[in-house]
Amino acid sequence: MLRIEHLGIHFGQTDILKDVNLHVGKGELICLTGPSGCGKTTLLRAIMGFVSSYQGSIVVDNVPLSARTIESIRQRIGWMPQGLSLPIEWVSEMVRLPFDLRINKGVHYSEEKLLTYFDQLGLERGVLSKRIHEISGGQCQRILLAITALQEKPLLIIDEPTSALDSASSLRALQFVQQLAREEGRTILVVSHDKQFMEGCDKVMTLQSINN
Amino acid sequence: MTIDITYSGLAIGMLLLLVPIYFLHRYKTGLVKATIVGALRMVVQLFLIGMYLKYLFLWDNPWINFLWVFIMVYVATETALSRTRLRRGILMIPLAIGFLVSAILVGLYFLGIVLKLDNIFGAQYMIPIFGILMGNMLSSNVVALNTFYSNLVREQQLYYYLLGNGATRHEAISPFVREAIIKAFSPAIANMAVMGLVALPGTMIGQILGGSSPNVAIKYQMMIIVITVAASILSLMITLWLGARKTFDSYGCIRQVFKE
Repeated sequence: MLRIEHLGIHFGQTDILKDVNLHVGKGELICLTGPSGCGKTTLLRAIMGFVSSYQGSIVVDNVPLSARTIESIRQRIGWMPQGLSLPIEWVSEMVRLPFDLRINKGVHYSEEKLLTYFDQLGLERGVLSKRIHEISGGQCQRILLAITALQEKPLLIIDEPTSALDSASSLRALQFVQQLAREEGRTILVVSHDKQFMEGCDKVMTLQSINN
Repeated sequence: MTIDITYSGLAIGMLLLLVPIYFLHRYKTGLVKATIVGALRMVVQLFLIGMYLKYLFLWDNPWINFLWVFIMVYVATETALSRTRLRRGILMIPLAIGFLVSAILVGLYFLGIVLKLDNIFGAQYMIPIFGILMGNMLSSNVVALNTFYSNLVREQQLYYYLLGNGATRHEAISPFVREAIIKAFSPAIANMAVMGLVALPGTMIGQILGGSSPNVAIKYQMMIIVITVAASILSLMITLWLGARKTFDSYGCIRQVFKE
């Protein structure tokens, strides 16, 4: 589903990633970890096509990433960035945001399914009618995780979904993504520092900092 | 026939500027110098324009009129660029094309189809109509472009979130275009709603002072409002559309748009 070979990224004179190789099969749940600043988020951004200058190759679902293919690649991905803060007032607006896109027109937006996801993630159903500033960082992370899952994309790229969660909520988030991978066959690449979360993934890949 | 204002009368009238200057000074706004320089520039520029227009009307040559339109487009583009902090390479050509195409399409539509003039390139109509279009396009584009690019850079998380979840570039910039249009055109739309009640508009007053009947003046006023809004939004859309190539790279990532 995702194949990265000999990936190298540098900003100016500074190498961020060097010779990174990663293979993620369909339905696998892979955790990417490593010390702060080692390039985990940069790697995810490269897969998303947000880093336009790199060496090596990135192939998503047998499609090599390039300027020509990037739009169709992004259409296969559910993307949850780290620390997302959107200029939106209501949680319900945030939830609907991806479903207003043309690519998701064929995906049935089911509020019932969303609320079921909320239950699985330990979220009160009432958060859906709250203002964004009324919810905590942990609630926001879980809502975004539910939205990412609801889009029914085959590949999910998730950056730090549990950084604001306590141990019990983090376990629920792990069980949630495990279920997406095992029961729905979704391929999931997650960045996390959470030990409990890492242990529940199929594979853990550790990036080393190359500037030490 | 309009009563002329004598130069001494004009000088006495200008004394009214002392009122704003007094308050600007008293409340330490730091705007006194800018007001005086602005007023002096206005006087010099309008006298020069008066002289140019006198000859434009005298010659009444379509080629010279078009040359004048090109000069207006150039000045409007430079002014718009100077009032945004955007890099010249991003918007110079898109702005110039946006102004020119919109002024020609909307201006000639009005002169040729609405007014049904025999000579749509005549100086008496073409120069003032293109001038008023250019002025309005300039002010609304400056507000809209500043809003669009500032929001796009400040709220880029939203842009990348949409893009990363499969939005086309057009879809991902839609919230920012929407905000820019709202900010730039809300005043014009609100103004339209109170036209004639709260404010008597300039074109209408000018025509009445020039001897036209109020009946003619209001029809011109309506059309001026409509053509300025139409040309302004059209020029903004053309500018944004053409500017997108320089604003985003081939992967849709936002380039460095503001000057260092």
